[in-house]
Amino acid sequence: MFDTTIGLEVHVQLNTESKIFCSCSTEFESPPNCNICPVCSGQPGVLPVFNKKALSLGLRAALSLNCKINESIYFERKNYFYPDLPKDYQISQYKSPLGHEGSIQINKNKKIGIERVHLEEDAGKLIHKDKYSLVDFNRTGIPLLEIVSHPELTSPDEAFDYLYSLKLILQYMGVSTCNMEKGYLRCDANISLKEKGADSFGTKVELKNMNSFKGVKAGLEYEVKRQAAQLKDKKIIVQETRLWDSDKLKTVVMRSKEEAHDYRYFPEPDLPDFIISKKMIDQEKESLGELPKAKRERFINQYQFNEKESCLLVENKQLADFFEKVLNFYKQPKKIYKLLFGPFLEQVNLLKGGFDSVKISAKDFAKVVKYFSENKINNLGVKKIISLTIDSNNDVDKVIKKEGLIQLSDEKGIEKIAEEILVNNSKAVQEYKQGKAQAIQFLVGQIMKETRGRANPQLARNILERRLKK
Amino acid sequence: MTNNLIIKPAYLIAKDIKDKKNSQGEVYSFFEKRISQHNASLNAFVDLYKNNFDNQSNSNLTGVPIAIKDNICIKGKKITCASKILKYYQAVYDATVIKKLKSSGLSLIGTTNMDEFAFGSSTENSCYGPTKNPWDKTRVVGGSSGGSAAAVSARLVPFALGSDTGGSIRQPASFCGVVGLKPTYGRVSRYGLVAFGSSLDQIGPITTNIKDCAYLLNIISGFDQNDSTSAKVADPDFTKSLGQDVASLRIGLPKEYFDQDLNSEIKETLDQAIIFFKKKNIQFKKISLPHTQYSVPTYYIIASSEASSNLQRFDGIRYGYRAKADDLWQIYQKSRSQGFGDEAKRRVFLGTYSLSSGYYDAYYLKALKVRRLIKNDFDQAFKEVDAILTPTTPTAAFKIGEKIKDPLSMYLSDIYTISSNLAGIPAVSLPCGFTKDNLPLGMQLIAKDYDEATLIKLGDAFQQDTDFHKKIPELKNV
Amino acid sequence: MIDKERVEYIAKLAKININDQESEFLSSQLSKIIDYIDKLKEVDTKGIKPLRSLSTGQPLMREDKAKNNLAKDDILKNAPACLDSFFKIPRVIK
Repeated sequence: MFDTTIGLEVHVQLNTESKIFCSCSTEFESPPNCNICPVCSGQPGVLPVFNKKALSLGLRAALSLNCKINESIYFERKNYFYPDLPKDYQISQYKSPLGHEGSIQINKNKKIGIERVHLEEDAGKLIHKDKYSLVDFNRTGIPLLEIVSHPELTSPDEAFDYLYSLKLILQYMGVSTCNMEKGYLRCDANISLKEKGADSFGTKVELKNMNSFKGVKAGLEYEVKRQAAQLKDKKIIVQETRLWDSDKLKTVVMRSKEEAHDYRYFPEPDLPDFIISKKMIDQEKESLGELPKAKRERFINQYQFNEKESCLLVENKQLADFFEKVLNFYKQPKKIYKLLFGPFLEQVNLLKGGFDSVKISAKDFAKVVKYFSENKINNLGVKKIISLTIDSNNDVDKVIKKEGLIQLSDEKGIEKIAEEILVNNSKAVQEYKQGKAQAIQFLVGQIMKETRGRANPQLARNILERRLKK
Repeated sequence: MTNNLIIKPAYLIAKDIKDKKNSQGEVYSFFEKRISQHNASLNAFVDLYKNNFDNQSNSNLTGVPIAIKDNICIKGKKITCASKILKYYQAVYDATVIKKLKSSGLSLIGTTNMDEFAFGSSTENSCYGPTKNPWDKTRVVGGSSGGSAAAVSARLVPFALGSDTGGSIRQPASFCGVVGLKPTYGRVSRYGLVAFGSSLDQIGPITTNIKDCAYLLNIISGFDQNDSTSAKVADPDFTKSLGQDVASLRIGLPKEYFDQDLNSEIKETLDQAIIFFKKKNIQFKKISLPHTQYSVPTYYIIASSEASSNLQRFDGIRYGYRAKADDLWQIYQKSRSQGFGDEAKRRVFLGTYSLSSGYYDAYYLKALKVRRLIKNDFDQAFKEVDAILTPTTPTAAFKIGEKIKDPLSMYLSDIYTISSNLAGIPAVSLPCGFTKDNLPLGMQLIAKDYDEATLIKLGDAFQQDTDFHKKIPELKNV
Repeated sequence: MIDKERVEYIAKLAKININDQESEFLSSQLSKIIDYIDKLKEVDTKGIKPLRSLSTGQPLMREDKAKNNLAKDDILKNAPACLDSFFKIPRVIK
């Protein structure tokens, strides 16, 4: 059998308002060549000026990936011709990356080494038509962070875990949204197989075009199978670049014109060395905040969540942050959890902007949880309140009052309604008495209907059962 | 009265305008007329602007026409770097120096010829053909800022801007009998100067006299938010250095520049200058800059490497010349092969070679190390002296065609000017005599980082009592 | 020495077409220049740090503020070929 060796090269787009070397906007989905200027369109005579925030975010990422930070860094030019590259060189880092020798803990037992973390500018976008291609430079000059792992991943599953952990860290640190569909996170892989226990690595294949987390896993899984089959047949693995085709679910060789890869890197003379002072590092460290792993552990210890619950909460930073804010107003973690993962997320998923559109305050949400726990409102009421307040500034108490959502827990009142229901639904009563237990559900429903959903359903059920047993 | 304008320094022309003795329009059309009379025979200008005066802003150079080397971006104007590849390019923004000139009320009158992308020392490598030396039209003007130097020398314009990567302001200034100053690297913003050797390039003034140089330097220098290599240093008023006492300043004479190879005519003129300065109680000291002989090879590696990368963007995709071709790779290759001249190709090849895999350490990296040694030499020297005096060029202006077929001999004509670019320090060339054939000669004064003031002080002292800079080439009316 | 083969390799990198004759000519010219440049080999640079930049101190950095640039129309006007605000080129063979 074979051992698999995988290394990942990840590019993420940094969360900046403007580009890395000019003031153009980084906005997604702008009309073609709308966010361009003399600098990022490579006009003669222009010079780059480094975006402070890009350095700060890069540094933050490098620190949270446990990297060593160079005392000073400089940029280099990577020279090659391509129409999406306006200067026909890319300003990148080569011999002096921002960070090196870092690591990520991907699960309890495994740590993956990170070779380097460096800053560079993105290229533009090409749109291919039948007879011509079109070039859009909006993306040109958007700041990217490249994160290169050591080839220490031994399976597609591990690669997936690595990518997932990396994404979560970068999201938590506010470095990048890591939205793969929008291309804010891109992942290339190197993968090779060797005879189990063999000393030397097998031939490396570069894998590109995996545009989703699932794609990364599927592409690598396909490659493992393909290479294993080749090796079993004593066929040679060709060193090449392959593309994952997510429609045909297979990898195909990337056809490329014979181009010499000699990038002639040399220090970018337009940008002097940038000093990374201890003060900058300390400042960045202070503002790092809690990493996802620490948060998961804390949630388990502090709130008695199990591992699964804790993972689910931490998976979404906005949700985890919201959870802890709600906790400030109502100290019942499990109860909050229950409503968050029930009606709350259901409604969030209906919102166009997802979590970004949530407007209900933590304080108001705490009230909802509290009222629910105190049986003041029932499940239906919760859903209704959340749907009416989640993306508005509506006051929860007012909504409850206006919609009349306070749960009827007045036993006598329900008793009275139940009496009528039993009289008017003799068929169901008959069925129940004949042993058809679920008939009571229908009767409860009738009470809910009568009370416009406000009755405490448990109470209604108890009353019905008591009466029917008579 | 307007004939007066030929001998009048720019700052006095401005004073006349301020005093309403002349109008901006009169001054402008005077020089426009002179250009129309003489440019055809000199080929100094490549583009001329009609009636581009009437400036509202107020400075002590308001209303004075200025010529701009064809590699500095002026918004909406044709900027070509004298290259076929940029022949139809219109600049989309103003270079920082252009913004400064405009806001100081100078009148941009046109752009001047140059060696293509500033590659050369004779202005022969131009898609517009060579500029002729006003002192002898069979001779070169020097380069690469040859059009600017010729225009100023022939008084087609009171002053001009050039750019200097290895001597491109000082060498043509010397060949044309005018003043040319290369400021400290970082003193003047490079934003909008089409890059040649990014770590060496500086924009600087070409003027008939040092006073104008000080006035113009005041306007163009200063820290710029758009240039990360521009220095956050105080910008002195350089005109304050005019008329200052120079006694007790110390000038160094590097033995490596005054060896037996030095042209005897040049040596004699420099000796005269030394005598002059000695009379002003300046002390002279023999110094050594031991790595001088390595400056030309170091320069050609660094400048060509940077140039090869800077010129990648001229590819026919976004602007400039696009050759007819069906596929993209052919567009690149044909546009560049047809668009670049021979010298540009040579530099690109040399630079690409020095950076290519397997050669980087031996050439580019080695050159960066030697560059530090060259800079150390100067740092050491400036512990003992305030300025260094050298010839600007090894010979007076040579014949058109004389060196164009022999690139190496052309490269060596910058042998005295290159070191200050490598070290980043300021240097000025001042007219200091004539050969027996009546060709101008220049001396070069070099100072330490950000000490242009000393150069201006010394230059002004020299020009107070000499009149080499007042000699004007005779031009026949065409 | 820089042989014809090397010159052709450089030509490919630099995207400049040269014919046989030019390649021979360039190879002889560049060889002369390189021979001269090789003089640098005699300099002892052991322990000397390369001089990457003449600038000293922390360089200028920009605040992260996006600005709309007005030059975009002029930029497109310079394009040899344009279509609906895109730069147009022959189809890139992938």
